[in-house]
Amino acid sequence: MSTTTIDRLRDTELSYRATLAGGALSVFLFIALLGLAFPSSIWGNFLAILTSRSTLSSALRLSVPITFAALGGIFSEKAGVVNIGLEGLLIISAFTAVITTAVVGPEMTVLGLPAIWIGFFAGILSSVLFSALFAVVCIRFKADQIIAGLAVWLIALGLAPFAATVYYGGVNTDNLGTTLGTWTIPVLSDIPFFGAFFDADPAVYMMLVAVPASWYVLNRTAFGRHVRASGENPKALDTVGVDVSRVRYAGVLLSGFLAGVGGSALSLGLGQFVGNNQTMVNGKGFIAIVAYLFGNYNPVGAFGASFLFAGLEAAQIRLQQVPGYAIPDSLIQTIPYVTVLVVLALVGRTRIPEAAGEHYDTGDDNR
Amino acid sequence: MSTAVHLDEITKRFPGVVANDDVDLTVERGTVHALLGENGAGKTTLMNILYGLYEPTEGTVHVDGEPRDFDSPADAIDAGIGMIHQHFMLVDPMTVAENIVLGNEPRKWFGTTVDRERARQEVIDLSNRYGFDVTPDDAIEDVSVGVQQRVEILKALYRGADILILDEPTAVLTPQEVEELFRVFEELTAQGKTIIFISHKLGEAMHAADDITVLRNGKNVGTVKADETSNEELAELMVGREVLLEPKAEPQEPGDEVLSVQNLSAKDNRGIPAVSDVSFDIREGEVFGIAGVDGNGQSQLVEAITGLRTPTGGAISYKGRDVTNASRRSRIADGMAYIPEDRHERGLVMDFDLVQNGILGSQHSATFAADGRINWADARDHAERIIDEYDVRPPHADADAESFSGGNQQKFIVGREFEREPDLVVATHPTRGVDIGAMEFIHERLLDLRAEGKAVLLVSSKLDEVQGLSDRLGVMHDGELMDIVDPRNTTEEEIGLLMAGERPDTAETDAEPPVGDAK
Amino acid sequence: MSATENAKAVLRRLTAASATERILISFAALIMAVLVGAVIILVSGRITTCQTAATTLFGTGFCYDPVEVYLVLFNGALGEPFLVNSPGILKPLNPDWNPLNFGFALTLKETTLLIFTGLSVAVSFRAGLFNIGTQGQLVLGGLATALFSFFVAPLLPSGLVGGLILIPLAVVVGALVGGLYGAIPGALKAYADANEVITTIMLNFIAAQIAFVLVSEFFGNPDSQVVETTPLPDWATLLPVAFPQGGDFSILALAFGLALVVAVWFLLEQTSFGYDLRTSGEQPEAAEYGGVDAKRTTVTSMFLSGALGGMGGAIWVLMVMGKWQAGVPALGFDGITVSILAGNNPFGVVPAALLFGTLKSGSLAVQFGTGVPKQLVGVLRGLIILFVAMPEFFRMLGSTIDLEPDRETVATDGGSLGGDDE
Repeated sequence: MSTTTIDRLRDTELSYRATLAGGALSVFLFIALLGLAFPSSIWGNFLAILTSRSTLSSALRLSVPITFAALGGIFSEKAGVVNIGLEGLLIISAFTAVITTAVVGPEMTVLGLPAIWIGFFAGILSSVLFSALFAVVCIRFKADQIIAGLAVWLIALGLAPFAATVYYGGVNTDNLGTTLGTWTIPVLSDIPFFGAFFDADPAVYMMLVAVPASWYVLNRTAFGRHVRASGENPKALDTVGVDVSRVRYAGVLLSGFLAGVGGSALSLGLGQFVGNNQTMVNGKGFIAIVAYLFGNYNPVGAFGASFLFAGLEAAQIRLQQVPGYAIPDSLIQTIPYVTVLVVLALVGRTRIPEAAGEHYDTGDDNR
Repeated sequence: MSTAVHLDEITKRFPGVVANDDVDLTVERGTVHALLGENGAGKTTLMNILYGLYEPTEGTVHVDGEPRDFDSPADAIDAGIGMIHQHFMLVDPMTVAENIVLGNEPRKWFGTTVDRERARQEVIDLSNRYGFDVTPDDAIEDVSVGVQQRVEILKALYRGADILILDEPTAVLTPQEVEELFRVFEELTAQGKTIIFISHKLGEAMHAADDITVLRNGKNVGTVKADETSNEELAELMVGREVLLEPKAEPQEPGDEVLSVQNLSAKDNRGIPAVSDVSFDIREGEVFGIAGVDGNGQSQLVEAITGLRTPTGGAISYKGRDVTNASRRSRIADGMAYIPEDRHERGLVMDFDLVQNGILGSQHSATFAADGRINWADARDHAERIIDEYDVRPPHADADAESFSGGNQQKFIVGREFEREPDLVVATHPTRGVDIGAMEFIHERLLDLRAEGKAVLLVSSKLDEVQGLSDRLGVMHDGELMDIVDPRNTTEEEIGLLMAGERPDTAETDAEPPVGDAK
Repeated sequence: MSATENAKAVLRRLTAASATERILISFAALIMAVLVGAVIILVSGRITTCQTAATTLFGTGFCYDPVEVYLVLFNGALGEPFLVNSPGILKPLNPDWNPLNFGFALTLKETTLLIFTGLSVAVSFRAGLFNIGTQGQLVLGGLATALFSFFVAPLLPSGLVGGLILIPLAVVVGALVGGLYGAIPGALKAYADANEVITTIMLNFIAAQIAFVLVSEFFGNPDSQVVETTPLPDWATLLPVAFPQGGDFSILALAFGLALVVAVWFLLEQTSFGYDLRTSGEQPEAAEYGGVDAKRTTVTSMFLSGALGGMGGAIWVLMVMGKWQAGVPALGFDGITVSILAGNNPFGVVPAALLFGTLKSGSLAVQFGTGVPKQLVGVLRGLIILFVAMPEFFRMLGSTIDLEPDRETVATDGGSLGGDDE
């Protein structure tokens, strides 16, 4: 085979994504055009929503849990463990963050740390513990990753409302009466539209740091290379003397840590955990999986996709507030899910790590 | 001359199998030592023990005169041993340099970051020192198999290996690349390195090694000097009795055309063209062989013919009808038998027993399922008949396919396909992994089918097999059918050149630019 | 290897265990889940507040006593055959106990529904497809049944004759809609290579929203504040026979479910189509080699799976609710547990469904009798799946207990087992 054919193949893959990105852009331009031409029509409303600073700021906020879960999913899957339980990790950390804050007392500070931040770290810890369980089950006991991931999701889906009922008598927690709040950077936050980046939830800043940091770790550190090798050809890693299990444990725990940040930020941003039906996480963990597939396992790409999905969600919420047109809310709420479905159908053929989903045995059976 | 490696009475048992039985092996420093034997003779197991992948059940490993106890490859690497496995241990999307330094990355900024510049430079230095021609920034998936092998060797050298073990290094190379590899061996031994290579090819061992150790059924049956022995002696050591080395088909007048392939093109799973413009035909009572290094489009060609891959161009006609886009099922129903190259993936459902596997491909046929309901009693009789006639051991129709040895799995597949009463048999690597007895049996059965007037398409990377059995022989390189030759009047060297992509008559006029300067 | 192949490899390994081993693993997983559940009950008994400790261990009082919880659970599921409140370890039999009681009817109701969803999941898993979308297929299938019955009922004579015509038709409509909804991820998988785990989960969300909109905007019951369809006349629903009215259990539905179990078994094990389906599930490459049309089998299997889920929805509407109502219980997710616990074997679905039906119906008695929230069952559901997914855990556990050395089997030829080392 020649190099040119491979380049061409990469080009087609790239063009897939380019088409999608271009599609999104042209839809936006289409709306913009109509909106500018007929400012008083529904298109004008659309345009106003899409270009408003508050949509941007809620899109950023909504992309936090998806982005963090997607970053986590990248580390886990790149290391060779498909983590379909991200949804569960988000649920458990969202719940733990709120209940810990409530138990400590929302107004308390411990060692100079406000209770809400203790809750934040407790949420992360719970997610890390859950992912440790998942890692042991998958790596040590060679469980099937997909089914174990489903189990993590279903356990969290049962456990959080169960514990909420035990503590509060209902599946939702009480409202803490406090949230993570916003950190406002003076001057910069006054910039029109883009000022939303500098007047945001602390978790948004964390996300804006975590995305490039994740990219750096994956691509520029020895650990990142080992993670990639562990998912592509674990035997290659093993034969040069790097412990594959250890790399995979690290990848899964890191996914627990990152998803935990997302889950804590989700519930503490609202000050409450909502536990009915699919809980307040409501599929964000699964959307995260699609986000990193769409972003081709690149943290920056995954963030782009998460931001796109979150943007849809934000626009959808704002759209519900526009009076005078009759599309039912529930139908608008399906937009992100349908988009995910369409995206997945279009980029179905993603190049996943060669050995993801497979157990790794050193091959010796007598020790 | 000092001893580099000494294995002392090594025994290795796996559940149910004794892979190595009391094996002694001594390798001198600065020499090339060939470990020769049939498939399953225990060569790879022995070398995995030396490399610390397996622990010996009994016996000791000595390196440089010191007894060593390796817990893992890391220990073996520390002791200066490097192993190049048959399946390369490379990470495809990463670059050459990234692969070479994997696990030993040079770092900067307090160890936080890989020093990519230094890694690159070290790889270039190493590569120049041994006269290797590799580019550090190429991705592994973009370079040829020969280059990948050199990357593997560099990887071992980067880790300070003095003793290099190569498992079947020539299996994936063209004859010309093999020559290049043997030149590398000379360069390495000249600089004091020791080389052990595993092979089942006599000629190679005779050609490249200083000493040859022959393993048979897990035992060392003799170590000889290459210049004091003969092919015949080695062959006898390997199989324990005199064997017919090359099956020879008696010439026979072929009948009507059964299969005709016209200008066929196909792509592989990644969408890269793998078969381009291939044309040939096969007639009744004829064996058409296809030779070539693995991965030159043979698999995709066979899949297009058997209905597992949609061609991107050209036409296939079978028994006078166009079947270019006919379904796999209709081709099976029409008497096309197919021994696939990968029995674990395709040929057998590993978790089904032999009764169920016996009807794979016939599950809709009138014989076993007249009205959509499978007649399991008939299926059982059928499986037992195959087991009986093709000597599948142990003779348990109820055992899962997975529980049989590779050779017996293959015999069952061959039996199932031959019992279809086919008009065309497509056999890819039909004797891969089977013992000598089964190999002879399968060869005889293929020639029987030919005598009965069936058409046979035989694909094999074993040149002696295709050359000995075929009436006409096509040679594939990079998706093209280079030429169709008469195997009885063509030398192995001529076929080797074709396999390497050189047409003797067009070599001068070929538009390809000259390759590099003389070394 | 693509994502889909990975999923299949996973399923392959799941079914690699022998039948006996699988049953043992299911039992062991159940016991482990119950034990872990007990710990969770104890811990949550520390979190909540109560007047008197239900049990005391290591000098600490706990509000919930796990033993009592499980006792109440099983007792409640069977309609209180024992008097659990009496003192002592051995509880006396309840003299008033009648097998045709409310609690037992509730158990059998859940069992019946779970047989449908369990079969639905089993069929897809056997075909190597992770259909997580039984829930959505059930929601839409049920809605179709409710709407069909609602619109067609006025055209038919009321009473037994009308019921005999309408009910089977309504079930078929539910099956069709569920099947078509299941065929969507099947087609996405077959023709766009979209991972069915994600697409089915997304389609669950979408199904719930679509059904909600359809009912709240167009087909709602005008006399109700709840998002639901107009109740069907009694003759158009499956009424309880022999069992008490409130239990919402019809023995006819159970009989139909059991007949389906046999039918699905027959289809999978005795027919050419079943052979194709199982081969694709076990080893897709081998199936292709054997002339199986992989794409068509994928779509057909998903249709079949969806149809079984849709029938589950139909039975839920006709037997339990008599209408469609928003907030459909998570029967589809429970079906995953049932099928995994059953080793994806149709006959195994029956005991697994019974067991899970017992848990679900007993959980109500538990909430009532001990105060432990009924969401406990959701936790147990996840735990059971987790433990069934790790047979290696039990093998290791087994080998530390069983100290017999490995038996050596006889090698049949010089070749290495199952492979070649060329």
